[in-house]
Amino acid sequence: MTRHHPDSLSLMEYSAGNLSEPHALCIRLHLDKCSHCRRQVDTLDSLGAVMMEQQPKVSVSGAMFDDILARIDSSPELKPQATVPPKTSLLQKLLGEDINNLPWKRQLGDVSVLDITEKFPGQNEQVVLQKLVAGGKAPAHTHRGTETTIVLQGMFSDQKGVFNQWDFVVLNEQDEHKPIALGSEDCITLSVLSAPLKLTGTFTRLLNPFIR
Amino acid sequence: MTTLDQQPARAEGRKDPWSQLLVKVGKSQDRQAYHSLFEHFAPQLKYYAMANGMASHADELVQEVFVSIWRKASLYDWQKAAASTWIFTIARNQRIDMLRKMRRTSVEMAVETEDLWQIPGEDDNQPVTSLHRLMSERRVRESLSQLPEDQITVIAKVYMEQKSHQIVADELNIPLGTVKSRVRLALSKLKVILQDQNV
Repeated sequence: MTRHHPDSLSLMEYSAGNLSEPHALCIRLHLDKCSHCRRQVDTLDSLGAVMMEQQPKVSVSGAMFDDILARIDSSPELKPQATVPPKTSLLQKLLGEDINNLPWKRQLGDVSVLDITEKFPGQNEQVVLQKLVAGGKAPAHTHRGTETTIVLQGMFSDQKGVFNQWDFVVLNEQDEHKPIALGSEDCITLSVLSAPLKLTGTFTRLLNPFIR
Repeated sequence: MTTLDQQPARAEGRKDPWSQLLVKVGKSQDRQAYHSLFEHFAPQLKYYAMANGMASHADELVQEVFVSIWRKASLYDWQKAAASTWIFTIARNQRIDMLRKMRRTSVEMAVETEDLWQIPGEDDNQPVTSLHRLMSERRVRESLSQLPEDQITVIAKVYMEQKSHQIVADELNIPLGTVKSRVRLALSKLKVILQDQNV
């Protein structure tokens, strides 16, 4: 059960459709497993509908409706959908069958990373998967800018608490942390970085993907 | 939630004329119903497109939304969302999709817009929370009318103009913290926050 949630303001920006794709991805993955936040988003979607209803209206030409009908009639692919097409899970679509078996790049003893920024072309954020071996420790580091993280597998702890699978964490400049992977599984997280992270310990020169 | 509360919620869902029309479009491709939905929602959608900076593509967005409504109406379930909420989510997704396509280079998207922003009812692995959903739209409409103007202004900029909280702050010439506290106040009055006790 997740205990760390995105805040309501982020859920609102998600519902309004204002978030970047990587940030929307983090919220979406969390929503899939969190009925508490899903209910908030349902209400926020209703808020969007009521806002739209209460704003000014702009008249549309009557011809547009005929154009739409003509398009529907002439395009077989626009036929009503009979059923929801079966969906591959979002994570599977993005990362394939087994997130443990990705081309991880070993960083330090316990940490591996995989930069998947290229899956989100045209976005200004870096998107990084990080894997911390079960029981392993990551070097202490702070963050430049904001880092949004969702736990995809396993769990970790730091000074702020314990973060389980599907928990949602936002860290910024003030947060220096030193995560430890708990449990018997490797801990895998997906992080969206608005700016590269900054190492504070003795490992400064080693973690190149974060410092380019 | 008590049984007494549930009855008005169900009645509300059935009564909502737009949801009934949308069900007709889904069940029998009723073009009269489709036209009524167009007359009601197209002017709202056109304003939505213009407000969020897509003026030169406003008609295109309205068309895309309506084509999408036609294709998806058979999947619409009035117990899962009011028609207006469902149409809002389709409009939001079509807008995002159009912007993504305009930006798209040769690289294909790893995930589709609807993988990231879902339409209510298409997440079939999730239990029906119909009562909550139906109650929520009615409650939102009622409570929104009691919000002070400054809170509504902020919410409108976020939802209609797709402005981030920071940009709203810049535009209104108020601190970011003020924008956030207005939004938080509004959301708590709208019971977006702390609504758990109902479920």
